[in-house]
Amino acid sequence: MSDPVSLLLTVLVLSLVTNIGISLYGVFTRPSLVKKFISLTIFSDTLNSFAIALGFRRVARGYPSIAVIPSIPEDVSELRAAAGTAVDPLPQALVLTAIVIGLAVYMFLAGLIVMYYRHYGTTHVRPAEGGSIG
Amino acid sequence: MNAREVAIATSITLMIVLLAYVIEAGGLGPIAPEKLRELAASYIISTYNPWNITHSAQSLEAVTAIVWDYRGLDTFFETSVLFISIVGVALLFRGYREKTGVGGRGLSEIVKTSTKILAPLILIAGISIAIHGHLTPGGGFQGGSFIAVLLVLLSVVFSLDFVVERGLSTSRLLTLRSIGLMGVFATSIALLLVGLVTGVSAYVFQNMVREGAPVSMPPWFLDRPTGGTLLFFNVFEALAVATGLSLAFIVLSLRREEVEEALERGEWYE
Repeated sequence: MSDPVSLLLTVLVLSLVTNIGISLYGVFTRPSLVKKFISLTIFSDTLNSFAIALGFRRVARGYPSIAVIPSIPEDVSELRAAAGTAVDPLPQALVLTAIVIGLAVYMFLAGLIVMYYRHYGTTHVRPAEGGSIG
Repeated sequence: MNAREVAIATSITLMIVLLAYVIEAGGLGPIAPEKLRELAASYIISTYNPWNITHSAQSLEAVTAIVWDYRGLDTFFETSVLFISIVGVALLFRGYREKTGVGGRGLSEIVKTSTKILAPLILIAGISIAIHGHLTPGGGFQGGSFIAVLLVLLSVVFSLDFVVERGLSTSRLLTLRSIGLMGVFATSIALLLVGLVTGVSAYVFQNMVREGAPVSMPPWFLDRPTGGTLLFFNVFEALAVATGLSLAFIVLSLRREEVEEALERGEWYE
């Protein structure tokens, strides 16, 4: 906790967790389907950022690098050097999959919400309670 | 604020505090450790490793290697989920036809001219992200979504009529999207077919030489590493994602009358 990087990482974790809570609150309490949908996307984006943050690392000197071999290696020691500074590529690959699946689900949900609005004339989750002004 | 909302707020606050405590106490493993995890280190060492080619994907970028080589089957089904979702949206809006002749004028000449300059750049940048997916961060999905932005831009600036007249109708987009998925499928079984023809054993989703399976995709093209199948996967995935997302954007876009009606009517709850 003493060095500034640890402090910043604590702030990062706290803010991500708080974000999860706020977005869940939106999903539970807002009656509008559109707002539930927005909260849900924030929720999944937060979880994805969190997974990326779990793959982050620190290096003794300088900054960590992305999970790319910078040039075509001449021998194995260059690969070991790259592994000495690179971040974890596995959470990134899994998050990429999660983003695509999430996108597929959200696309379908957005279509459902549009059809819901066309049918009921409102996006209230209980159409009898919600309604138009006029 | 009624009792129900208080209960929800209290439980969520409790969840935040407990979750933060668990994570800070190391319940999900250390946050930002100094040492790379063993699995991650083995991925980085084997992603481009000509000295241990039976464990390598011959791709300089580890994320693409994981996505399309080490965990290729996952990604194939992930692409299928995206395809099924797009089919689902198309089914939900069945009977949808592009309404042409609405007479949308689009935005002003200045915006149109600058979009004409920008459009090819977006297209080329998207293609570049896709085909360099095995060398630099990026890949088929990222490049494809990059290109899909182009259609949104064109339909906003020039009106949807313009896009449909240029041949990007929903049925054609769905056809292109299916071609992309078929390309991914063909690439995944290409080496298996080669193995069947030449009489050696090979795997589905095989990329480089594996133990007991001597067939391999070309790891080099001229002076560049291709990552074997990764280049083809990225190209086909970019095609599939770009056309699929464009299709979804077209189908989900609201008519102007509908938006105006919704704005006029308004909704009184929060």
